[in-house]
Amino acid sequence: MAIVVSTLNNPWFVFLAEKAAAKAKELGYESKIFDSQNNTSLETDHFENAISSGYDAILFNPTDADGSVVNVKNATAAGVPVFCMDREINSTNAATSQILSDSYSGCVTIAKYFVETLNKKGKYVELLGLVGDNNTWNRSKGFHSVVDHYPGLKMVAQQSADFDRNKAMEVLESILQANPDIDAVFCGNDAMAMGAYQALVAAGKSDKVKVFGFDGAEDVVKSIQDGKIKATGMQFPEVMAQTAATMADQYFKGKRDFPKKMPVAVEMVKKDNVENYAAYGKK
Amino acid sequence: MKKSIRYIGSLVLVAVVAYNSVYFKKLDEVKAGTASFDAGKYALEFWSKKLPPHTSKAIEIGDLLSLLQTDKNKAFTDYSHALGIGNVKYFLVKGSGTVQSVDENQVSVKVESGREKPEVILATEYVFGNAVRDASGEIDINEFTNSMDFNNVSAEINKIIREKVIPPFRSKVKNGDKVNFIGAIELNQEHLSTRLIEIIPIDLKITGK
Repeated sequence: MAIVVSTLNNPWFVFLAEKAAAKAKELGYESKIFDSQNNTSLETDHFENAISSGYDAILFNPTDADGSVVNVKNATAAGVPVFCMDREINSTNAATSQILSDSYSGCVTIAKYFVETLNKKGKYVELLGLVGDNNTWNRSKGFHSVVDHYPGLKMVAQQSADFDRNKAMEVLESILQANPDIDAVFCGNDAMAMGAYQALVAAGKSDKVKVFGFDGAEDVVKSIQDGKIKATGMQFPEVMAQTAATMADQYFKGKRDFPKKMPVAVEMVKKDNVENYAAYGKK
Repeated sequence: MKKSIRYIGSLVLVAVVAYNSVYFKKLDEVKAGTASFDAGKYALEFWSKKLPPHTSKAIEIGDLLSLLQTDKNKAFTDYSHALGIGNVKYFLVKGSGTVQSVDENQVSVKVESGREKPEVILATEYVFGNAVRDASGEIDINEFTNSMDFNNVSAEINKIIREKVIPPFRSKVKNGDKVNFIGAIELNQEHLSTRLIEIIPIDLKITGK
């Protein structure tokens, strides 16, 4: 099995890839991990490589909801099934199945807590992920489907930081210069939440400004315990990776009727339930 | 003269091409969903045709809580729905009881039941999420090309609740009123907590004092 992931520069995707490889091994298959470095062209090279090298299935974490469709179609046309993990492609018939976190619903839950915590008023910043990724918009839209009902909550800036910790720090540092009086930051993933928190510490505002993330990454779970981050949406990359590898195994054994999309529920982690959770999933 | 007309013509042509080549859009307008899909229409159809057969079979909340205590797995298997993998599941419930308090964001009701008699919360402010969309098990995510369309359905269903279900109830309800309710709830199968159940209302009636 070829495991093609969007980036190995984020520990969350490293975990996803390693769990997929571990499950493949457990099921008796060889696997190799390919890093697309958030570059769709490189991803195309990996697909061509995987197809020509004779891999029998691709467990896939796409770089771009639209841009990655052609890669999946090429693999499928070559008789190689593709199982998408965590990130969606905008096609219902290209991949054999897509196992996706229900990011929208997770962010609806976080947003409700966000509104309650801020008591329906204040200024906030939203840091978006990669603009070509559906998860970015599912999370943002889930968040805004709640928060936009409250005119007392004013978004003073909405910028992409590409799901990247360093970029998030730089972006928020810049935003803080024009908007020093913000009350909260909503981030489309935990790496950006940690970057945002660092920027707030540097500006001496970490006690006043509430930070919300999404993913369930190790440092954020610990930061919630320590009261530094308010909440995150716990995703279950191990569940997604194992489901994808198991589906590939079932495919090899003749199964063909897979659900085209398989959502995985996201659970909100905050101070009063953090003891139930560890990084990337349950304790 | 001819030269200057040609020059002006060329400039106009370049300006028109340049203007039509570059578009500025707000980030949040990008990928807002499939333009051809009308989530509002879909939600209205779901609300008026697909949901009622399921709400008529909703489990009484006291019976559900009793079953959760005696056989949690059976309660989840027989009465909950969810669209995929995970611990979060949704139930359609009904019940009746007496209003204990009317607050800014919710109405608390002491349930009258032959079994468990919990105090539950009817959400009147924070009507969000997928509880009503998913509790019936009627909608299939695989019908939708783009998950944003699917998510928009939830937002539209919740809008119907906020506009049609809550205002007539909210404007009249008082402490001590007897009420009947049908709604959807969310429970976590792995970390089950029934201490404070919040019901997203589908039907609310004040039946007396």
